[in-house]
Amino acid sequence: MEDGEIVEGVAMEEDAQLTTQPKNGKSPYEMLREGKVSVEEIVAQILTIKKENKPKSELRELVTQIFLHFVTLRQANRSILLEEDRVKAETERAKAPVDFTTLQLHNLMYEKSHYVKAIKACKDFKSKYPDIELVPEEEFFRDAPENIKGPVLSDDTSHNLMLKRLNYELHQRKELCKLHEKLEQRKKSLLETIANRKKFLSSLPSHLKSLKKASLPVQNQLGVLHTKKLKQQNSAELLPPPLYVIYTQFLAQKEAFGEHIDLEIVGSLKDAQAFARQQANKDTGISSTVESSRLEDDAPDEEDDGQRRRKRPKRVPSKESLDHVGVLQVHPLKIILHVYDDEVSDPKSAKLITLKFEYLFKLNIVCVGVEGSHEGPENNILCNLFPDDTGVELPHQHLAGIDFLPEIAPLLSGHETANSEATKNEVIVSGLSLYRQQNRVQTVVQRIRSRKRAQLALVEQLDSLVKLKWPCLNCENVPWALHTPLCNLNGWSPAGPPPNQTSSVPVIDTDQVQEPMDADVDRRSRTSKEESESAREDGELPSLVASIVNDVKLTPSKISNLEHSRQLALISKSIISPINKTKSLSFKKHDEDSDMLLDIDSDLDELAPLELEAENEACHKIVENPWVDYGVKEYSLVLTRRNIKLEAKIKISMEYPLRPPLFAVSLSSSGENHVESDGSEWCNELRAMEAEVNLFMLRMLPLDQENYILSHQVGYLAMLFDYLMDDASPCEKRSTSVVDVGMCKPVSGRLLARSFRGRDRRKMISWKDTECTSGYPY
Amino acid sequence: MCGDATNWDENAYRERILKEREIPTLTVFRTVWAPSPNPSPDTVVVASSDGSIASYSISSCISKLPLGFSNANAQQVEPTAFLQGHEGPAYDVKFYGEAEDALLLSCGDDGRIRGWKWKEFTQLEAPISLKGIHIQPVLDLMNPQHKGPWGALSPIPENNAIAVDKQEGCIFSAVGDSCAYCWDVETSKIKMVFKGHLDYLHCIVARNSTNQIITGSEDGTARIWDCKSGKCVQVIDSEKDKKLKRSSFVSCVALDASESWLAFSNGQNLSVWNLPASECVTRASIRASIQDVIFEDNQVLAVGAEPLLSRFDINGAIVSQIPCAPQSAFSVSIHPSGVIAVGGYGALVDIISQFGSHYCTFRCKCV
Repeated sequence: MEDGEIVEGVAMEEDAQLTTQPKNGKSPYEMLREGKVSVEEIVAQILTIKKENKPKSELRELVTQIFLHFVTLRQANRSILLEEDRVKAETERAKAPVDFTTLQLHNLMYEKSHYVKAIKACKDFKSKYPDIELVPEEEFFRDAPENIKGPVLSDDTSHNLMLKRLNYELHQRKELCKLHEKLEQRKKSLLETIANRKKFLSSLPSHLKSLKKASLPVQNQLGVLHTKKLKQQNSAELLPPPLYVIYTQFLAQKEAFGEHIDLEIVGSLKDAQAFARQQANKDTGISSTVESSRLEDDAPDEEDDGQRRRKRPKRVPSKESLDHVGVLQVHPLKIILHVYDDEVSDPKSAKLITLKFEYLFKLNIVCVGVEGSHEGPENNILCNLFPDDTGVELPHQHLAGIDFLPEIAPLLSGHETANSEATKNEVIVSGLSLYRQQNRVQTVVQRIRSRKRAQLALVEQLDSLVKLKWPCLNCENVPWALHTPLCNLNGWSPAGPPPNQTSSVPVIDTDQVQEPMDADVDRRSRTSKEESESAREDGELPSLVASIVNDVKLTPSKISNLEHSRQLALISKSIISPINKTKSLSFKKHDEDSDMLLDIDSDLDELAPLELEAENEACHKIVENPWVDYGVKEYSLVLTRRNIKLEAKIKISMEYPLRPPLFAVSLSSSGENHVESDGSEWCNELRAMEAEVNLFMLRMLPLDQENYILSHQVGYLAMLFDYLMDDASPCEKRSTSVVDVGMCKPVSGRLLARSFRGRDRRKMISWKDTECTSGYPY
Repeated sequence: MCGDATNWDENAYRERILKEREIPTLTVFRTVWAPSPNPSPDTVVVASSDGSIASYSISSCISKLPLGFSNANAQQVEPTAFLQGHEGPAYDVKFYGEAEDALLLSCGDDGRIRGWKWKEFTQLEAPISLKGIHIQPVLDLMNPQHKGPWGALSPIPENNAIAVDKQEGCIFSAVGDSCAYCWDVETSKIKMVFKGHLDYLHCIVARNSTNQIITGSEDGTARIWDCKSGKCVQVIDSEKDKKLKRSSFVSCVALDASESWLAFSNGQNLSVWNLPASECVTRASIRASIQDVIFEDNQVLAVGAEPLLSRFDINGAIVSQIPCAPQSAFSVSIHPSGVIAVGGYGALVDIISQFGSHYCTFRCKCV
């Protein structure tokens, strides 16, 4: 405030100063400078005066002058201050607009930053559409309706496109929503109908039950056995695992490939259920005991097999003797397999064979036999179904190739280390695909079928031969079929079978399996089959004829672990061994230690020193290939012509016709005028006939005549015999020359006819249209 | 093959059974000892009815097979060399020449005579399955066919036996068209045809010292021919006076080392002739028809359609009868050391020592 007052006062002075200033014409600063200079001069004068001690009078003068100057200085100072105040005021005045402008500037700056921020915010704005999954552009252009595609919504093309696409999307979504709604509605209605139908279905069983009840008599009438099938399925569940596998495999084959087979499960369901329950109870107990025995066995298990093998027999027999009777117990359920002929138009009418599968649960063995047949094992149609499968020994792992899959644990000892199980499964999986390609079930069924068919054909042929009639041949395009035999079919008899075939097999007590059979039943069953009947017609039937349907094919299930199967083998061996002993002459049962001598009919019999050797050799041979001769039937055929007798020993193996009958021919003449001869001079001819009948003619025979091989062989043999006899009488040499009638020149050249050729004097037989003649060219 | 349905192939099995049956029906028609510097018997060459020519090493057979006689189940052995020489049976093999340079000649039912270099043959390392197709015969002679009316040709007649004359360089063959032929080895041409037999020829032997050949025929005669002229010198028809119920035929002839004794069979009978004297010295007979004879010093060995090897002395008395493996033997041959090989039906070859014991019996391999 004081300042302000001062400023005001000064300002007033300044105004006065301003008015005075132009008078002097000098600026106050100049006056100030001049004053100062004059003052300094005066002071300098005073100083000089003082120094020179000049009179004081002069001083006075000088002081006044100085005061004068001081006044001017003050005046100048005042005017300067005034001036300053004035300038200040002027500045103050000028500052106001500046401040205002600054303020304005600040405002503007603020405004600007705000806008910038806003712009940035706008720029940073993220649209939603990148997250929207729009249809691709091509699709949009292709599918979008014109009213969306058409209008231009923005001048930015891409934006325009985007907008349009968005619109399209919206359009589509709306459509879909509508559709969804529609579907929902439909669903609802469907649910409603389903509920309705469910209600109906729930009420259906009672209807069906009543219908079924009502239809039973009709079903029986028509032979449609749905109810039965259902029952079968029920009982299938109660089958022991190995039988179940068999059942499913055959059933699958039947249903998938339309195989003409039928399966049936017979046996008491109740018993089976009881058995299963009993088994379930036992299982826990057994597994614990097995566990313990297993535990003590663990140490030797790690060691070599040889040791274990030696150990086993000590343990097993004691165990086996305990339940020797019960060991052959049979599971109450059995499978019956009917195999039908698939070449007949009405398959059901031609049942070929019926097989029965049984399961000896104590031994974990599946047995198969022909239902209704009580033949000895040699006559069983199933033996040697495949090479080296006589059915006497225990096969391993599969039943004629039908595997028991490993997942099924055996009933008695499903005890395996997890380890081996795992590795086994791997093997199985890899093997399974291969297995599926092999059609084993089909092969087996096919083999059984063809075997049976061949047997039927064979029986038919044998029938006719027994009646001493030439078996008829219905095949025209083989030479012997056209030949009418000149020789007589003089005899057909079963040759004495080898000692082992006399089937003096003791009855094995098979408990409830085998209904006790008396000799009568036995006889009847035998007479049903002519072949065997004729074989034993004259001989008294051994009263103890066995009925081991069982040991035809014994199959332990594959999965049984090593220990078990070994045990098993030992048990079965000990069962079979009594048979072995009684059949002491049987060389088919070739144990390693069986070195019995046998009496084979050898041509060398006369050569006494060689007999032993020959026998040894024969023994050796049989051991080599014993199964081939298993179940072989021998017959002897006699053809005669002009006192000359041709005897053929015919061996028909179980594998007929795959392994054709083997002929061994010999010749003898018995006449009044001729010396008795044993036909040794015919050796070459006979061997040639054998080769022809046993081997070469088979290659000429069409395959569809396979089952009638025996007839063909007999027919051919008769023809060869006829020609042999014809040529025994010397015939004159013929040669072919031709006369061309009407030409003056004779046609030159002739061809010599021959009937023998080669060092072994092979006969040549020409096969003309209707008959054969000996020699070529004829 | 194991006994189940795994990979069951019925046709293959059927074939296998027939194949098994084939072996016992095979016949060995000729066994010949191969020339070798070794004094002990070494290799035997076998011609059999499947047309194969194979050589077997005796030493390996003896070491592999059980010693002694075996009939029914003689084991098959692997040949050291094998080739499919002929279509149809091979009837005869002969060596032409000496040791290393020798040719192995074979003849057979297809009417051919073929010659292989023995050295090449023995060095044949190829497997049997090749059937020797990789070795070419150096000689291949084919019998001519006879002309019938209007140009009809007869079937090619078979060669039942061959004989060789190394000095003259020719091969004699006993042929199924009732003629014997003389082939020139160098030119592979027929030098001479010997016509006169009434039926086909079984056997032939060359009597080189007098340049003659002797043939035996189905017509029951043996004939001596002069090679120069091609004319028949003598017809030996020993059975003319006898009545035989069966056709007699001369299936084998043999000369002794001095070429002055001739042995030939006639059906079941054996005749020995002294050629310089042109006189039948001996007659003997066995029960079966004789199919091969040879001389051993002063004795005659004969085999026939029975499993016996008979030894006659020059007077026709049976010295010994040794059982041999083949039921019907077609060939007997003797090694200088005295070891005898008998071959015959059943593809069997029996090796019998000089003392009459059996070294080994083996079955030939079939194609």
